[in-house]
Amino acid sequence: MSGRLRTRVDKASGDRIAYSEGAIRNNSAIIEYCRTSMAALSGATSGILGLTSLHGFIFFLLAGFVLWLLLLIKAGSQWQQFFVSRKNLLTSGLTSGLFTYVLFWTFLYGMVHVY
Amino acid sequence: MSEPELLLDSDIRLWVFFPIGLVTFFVGIVRHYLSVLISSQKKVDLTQLQDSQVLLRSRMLRENGKYLPKQSFYARRDFFNNEETGYLTTTKRPAAPQAMTDPTVMAEMLKGNVTNVLPMIAIGGWINWTFSGFVTTKVPFPLTLRFKPMLQRGIELYTLDASWVSSASWYFLNVFGLRSIYTLVLGENNAADQAKMMEEQMSMGAAGMPPDPKGAFKAEWEALEIAQHQWALQTTDADLLRRAETLIAASHE
Amino acid sequence: MFLCYSMAKAVYKFLFIFGFVSLLHGGYSAAQHRRFIRITEQEYSTLPTDVFVQCLVSLIVTMYGVVHIVGDFREIRANIQLENKTWETAGNRPSFYIFSHRGRNLSPNYSACDGAYGN
Repeated sequence: MSGRLRTRVDKASGDRIAYSEGAIRNNSAIIEYCRTSMAALSGATSGILGLTSLHGFIFFLLAGFVLWLLLLIKAGSQWQQFFVSRKNLLTSGLTSGLFTYVLFWTFLYGMVHVY
Repeated sequence: MSEPELLLDSDIRLWVFFPIGLVTFFVGIVRHYLSVLISSQKKVDLTQLQDSQVLLRSRMLRENGKYLPKQSFYARRDFFNNEETGYLTTTKRPAAPQAMTDPTVMAEMLKGNVTNVLPMIAIGGWINWTFSGFVTTKVPFPLTLRFKPMLQRGIELYTLDASWVSSASWYFLNVFGLRSIYTLVLGENNAADQAKMMEEQMSMGAAGMPPDPKGAFKAEWEALEIAQHQWALQTTDADLLRRAETLIAASHE
Repeated sequence: MFLCYSMAKAVYKFLFIFGFVSLLHGGYSAAQHRRFIRITEQEYSTLPTDVFVQCLVSLIVTMYGVVHIVGDFREIRANIQLENKTWETAGNRPSFYIFSHRGRNLSPNYSACDGAYGN
């Protein structure tokens, strides 16, 4: 268990909140895992559906949004226990799965629609 | 969603398109385990560990020496910096070996190359040789002509639309796109492993070893030599009394 | 409690596998439909609605499974984590470890003792 801490001053109350580095890393590893899976699976889906050009990229953004909702459902009402910021959860690393998405999109599109 | 203007034989799908993805994926897996297999644990020898701990202690003395009485501070400094007996002045370490001549470093680099670059070239060459000249698939978004040499390696057809992908390029697409999938498949055993992280923390002192102990000793010696002792606790008693006085005064009001 | 927890895990695993298989099935149906259209020489416009819906639903089901399989979030506020630590853990100071102390001479199976006092 990591003993290192990171502190941040809460704007609303002026309190200093200490965050545990290890827990943050653990959570972000989970989120990264989910993101990669989502990129692969949503890429596969959009390939099966035969989405082309702009539709596919819109689907990617939509999938990111759905993943965000799923993560919030998982975290429940006390999301503040697990994430520093809810907005960051949506935006950070949104583009990291793009390459995986494109690969799976191309793969399934080729498998289903080209041949 | 119009019909693609080219109709490909579905045997290409079964015998070219699919195998390339499969081969790339499993080569990645094998490569990972191979690198785990041949990578050697970094060994820490005693003198290196000793040096790094001495440097750590001396740095802590410089930073936190103000909380020590003057005599204690100078006694500790003397242990490091004494002309005849100090650790930093008397210990002689050989100068750091050059990276290229050090055989262990060379071996590590070679291992890295063997597991990373060589399979990529070998498999790339093999794919190029076995599956050359197929149009395998079409990316589902329009691309400009600029992408043509990138995506249609091995096919020189000027009239073909840029979004068609040749077999060699499909391989490279796989190589880059599957990277994050590897972390998904192989990552569980090293990413979130608590025991490993703890071990890392424990050996942090040793890991931050200076590559060149001689130079580090000299720098540390200099820094310690010019370190001034200013006792932070000099006025604590007076401060305490002053605060007590103000408190008493406040309570009398 | 533990049984309940592992049962929930099994449910999520089932959801993941079910969704994944359903997604593959959707893909297969789409490929079949595509081939049917091609053989009968009709103009392809969109996938049939049932395949479309099946794919989307199975994507969401699979992702729901993945999100719950992957593990639990950990509390990131440090003081909560520190609450159930013992004093021995919290007061651990690695810098003050000493290894060459008298305990080694008191230890019955320390080899140097055996050499000195052994028979």
